[in-house]
Amino acid sequence: MPEAAPLWAALVLPVALCLAAVAAAAFDAVLGGDARRGGPGVLAAATAPVREGLRLLAQQRRTTPSADVALGRIGLGLVPVAAVLAAAVVPWGGVSVADPVVGIVWFNAMEVLAWAAVWLAGWGPNSALSLIGGYRFLAQGLAYELPHMLALTIAGLGAESLRVSEVVGAQQGLWFVVWMPAAFAVYLLSAPAMSFWGPFGHPLGRDVAGGAAAEYSGVDRLLLLGGRWLLLVATAAFSVPLFLGGGQGPLLPGWAWTLLKTAAVLAALIVVRRMLPVLRMERYMEFAWMVLVPLALLQALFVAIVVLNR
Amino acid sequence: MGLIGVLPRMTARRPPVLLVTLPGATRERLAVEAELRHRGWPSAAGPAAAAGLVVAGEQGDVQPPWLADVWKGVPRPKAYVSVRQADDAPRALDVLGRLLATGRQGDAPWPPSTGSPGGTRGRERQDREDGGHGPYRHPEAGGHQARHDQGDHMDHPGRQDHGERPGRQDHGGHRGGVVAGLPMAGRADDRDGLRLDRLHLPLGPVLPDWPAGLVLEVALQGDVVQSVTEHPPAAGVPGRCPFWSEPWLRAAAGEAVTRGTAERRRCASHLDSVGRLLAVAGWPRPAAEARRLRDRLLHGAATDELAPGVLRLTRRVAGSRTLRWLTVALGELPAGRAGELGVTGPALAADGDVHARLCVWLAEIERSLHGMDDTRAVTGGDGPRGRLDPDRPPSRVLLDALLPLLPGAEFACARLILASFDPDLDELVGTGHA
Repeated sequence: MPEAAPLWAALVLPVALCLAAVAAAAFDAVLGGDARRGGPGVLAAATAPVREGLRLLAQQRRTTPSADVALGRIGLGLVPVAAVLAAAVVPWGGVSVADPVVGIVWFNAMEVLAWAAVWLAGWGPNSALSLIGGYRFLAQGLAYELPHMLALTIAGLGAESLRVSEVVGAQQGLWFVVWMPAAFAVYLLSAPAMSFWGPFGHPLGRDVAGGAAAEYSGVDRLLLLGGRWLLLVATAAFSVPLFLGGGQGPLLPGWAWTLLKTAAVLAALIVVRRMLPVLRMERYMEFAWMVLVPLALLQALFVAIVVLNR
Repeated sequence: MGLIGVLPRMTARRPPVLLVTLPGATRERLAVEAELRHRGWPSAAGPAAAAGLVVAGEQGDVQPPWLADVWKGVPRPKAYVSVRQADDAPRALDVLGRLLATGRQGDAPWPPSTGSPGGTRGRERQDREDGGHGPYRHPEAGGHQARHDQGDHMDHPGRQDHGERPGRQDHGGHRGGVVAGLPMAGRADDRDGLRLDRLHLPLGPVLPDWPAGLVLEVALQGDVVQSVTEHPPAAGVPGRCPFWSEPWLRAAAGEAVTRGTAERRRCASHLDSVGRLLAVAGWPRPAAEARRLRDRLLHGAATDELAPGVLRLTRRVAGSRTLRWLTVALGELPAGRAGELGVTGPALAADGDVHARLCVWLAEIERSLHGMDDTRAVTGGDGPRGRLDPDRPPSRVLLDALLPLLPGAEFACARLILASFDPDLDELVGTGHA
């Protein structure tokens, strides 16, 4: 059983999450830089996210005519908040900020908060293109959330518990990824989908001039774009206790294994992203509901039979 | 000082730039894009994301009225430069970087509001209010804001023919109909027979990866395009030859142009189109690669030096199953219908959807690559977009053929369809057919 985390862990969590997000964004920028030969060096590319963040902090915030400013700002603020709250149930080694009985449900609920966040952020500025961005995220939610929830449920089913620490405990000896590969794959697809990033970046698509982000500048923009990285890190990190055995591993302490596994999942997501164009949800929906949902159901059936015969 | 002084200089090193191309300024656009890539400056998707505004092309005597709105939409600190000639691009970007580092704005494309009595502070407040007043403002917002400094904006593409818009005639159906000084969106039946809000929105002239100079008035329900009307393109600079079809037009005028030169231009033109389509499809990496190859081609790189890279790109794009899955069955234009409409060139040869048109470009890129050393004189007048008929340029025909394909498509699909035809408005606005 995990120990209760000290109170300061709740304060460290957002900082750690931000550092991880900056590192992930820097890695992404370095990978992106090589397409541009003669461009900036590795160091310049790696520091680009930090410089961009500082630039946005110093930039004027703009408002649009007849904008619902309060609504938009609630939405923008919710993006990083949802990420931090979701990450609260991720155990770092044996310690997590919170370990409620319904940890998996909590995580999922925080994701749904992100739906509301982007929708409100897109609605707020009273501008058609940002509204389209908001619509797109709702469609995206419909497409990815059902298979995603099944994947979460399968991990809970395998552990016979929704408490995250018990899910980790149930993977003693055999990680869930080994006998639930389909659920893991479905979960990995939903990590970029939930953070509306990479192949699932349609809500902020360039074809709608930035979509939900089209009208935001300054701190507002930083909250939305930075919050997106936080969400990606939180989702990638949660795949570790769910499917990759949490902090289990030889030699190193638990927190180090969690960190390493999270970094590996993040790196894989960032590398794979470059191979795919942005997915349009009316096409992806077909794939999600006709292929992923049945696949996840078969996986659930298999896991249920194993659990019943244990 | 300290941190506050360091910040602008540090952030001015690679500012995101919004590039606005005026009609007929393809050469200048290409020069700026190449220079931006060379410096590693990101390209902003809209005014809110930009720090620098770069306007490519000659503005003529009349300032495009929408330009002021775009400029107002860029959040401070911001700077503005204009690139009138392709050769000016490096110098202009130097100036832009310096302006941002020193906190100056440059000569704004529009004289700052003179009617504001409040001096600087008043003006600042007004800037704030106008902040979102770019092309991305609420579609119904235009023309209803009785601000004294905007009286001369009436010819903004989005604000014409108010009385004829169906959305406006529906206002009676709303309580009040006006919220905070702005009219509510009207309603109309959608494709499923539901009565839904209908928004009117001018698309262009400033949208990322959008044909320069094109302005479409679309009615949207949700993100489904209901109807499209084209605004007549603004006049370009007189006496300018459209950049992409230049070799063929010059040959038609009696100049000696080799086939190699023409094929090089065709190849670069298709790479430009492919780059744009991939960018619209949200695949930035190969899009950037296509544009990089395009620039090297235009700078005269040797065929055998470029061939491996070009072939790698064309094979990769043509072989992507995901891209295929995302672009098939969109914007179908069978060859028979295309022939009736007078379409020539790749769109006719494709005989199909967005993906088919992309594949024809890719095939023509490979073919042109091998014809670039041909020193015979150009014969025939088939430019990158089709037969160069002086009375009806191919891009006019393409526009007429593609606009009916847009209603009923979702916004993203409509943009893909448009990008897969990639009409070149320079052919329409350029008065100078050499």
